[in-house]
Amino acid sequence: MSFREKTAWISMLSMAGIYGVYFWSVIRAGHQAGGFRYGGLLMTVVALVVVQAVLTVAVTIFSPKEAKAPRDERDKLIELRAMRVAYAGLATSVAMACFFGAFTPPIIFNTNSLLFLLVTAEIMRSGCQIIQYRRGA
Amino acid sequence: MGVIRNEIRRLRFEHGEMTQQELAEKIKVTRQTVNAIEQGKYSPSLEAAFRISAVFGRPLESVFHYSQDE
Repeated sequence: MSFREKTAWISMLSMAGIYGVYFWSVIRAGHQAGGFRYGGLLMTVVALVVVQAVLTVAVTIFSPKEAKAPRDERDKLIELRAMRVAYAGLATSVAMACFFGAFTPPIIFNTNSLLFLLVTAEIMRSGCQIIQYRRGA
Repeated sequence: MGVIRNEIRRLRFEHGEMTQQELAEKIKVTRQTVNAIEQGKYSPSLEAAFRISAVFGRPLESVFHYSQDE
């Protein structure tokens, strides 16, 4: 497994796990969630940064040469394709959000919902990278 | 859609049993990219293809073969 693929796994799993806990807490809070929970989100972001940093450093220690090497043409192409998929997913989600807003009464997506869409797009991006690396594309 | 085949694996063997890692370092890509090229799963850029040919001292057409599907 290449270094880039390992970092993609770290990104995908850490985001899914840590943000999963955050959104689960939001859902459990239900109507009490109310506005945006900055405290909870700040802890989530800090936890994500720490976990990703620790895991990335660990992977770097085991493959220092690969970690130092710049992305080659295939890495860049895989990243571009993954960004395209993630952007398409995000754009579709936002379009659907606009669609639901046209209902009466309007179904308004709050800040946590928009954050969920963004996190999902990021997870899709990492997932798409992993799939391409696994296929050897 | 056309198919690109290559002789990289054979040429590596003929050039002192060069490893994928050694070839990767010479053409400035990762070992995984060399593997993907050899297996026909990834088509290298023109520049990378020329670099590969230069490593083996062969013209491009003798390293990479393009055939169009009927």
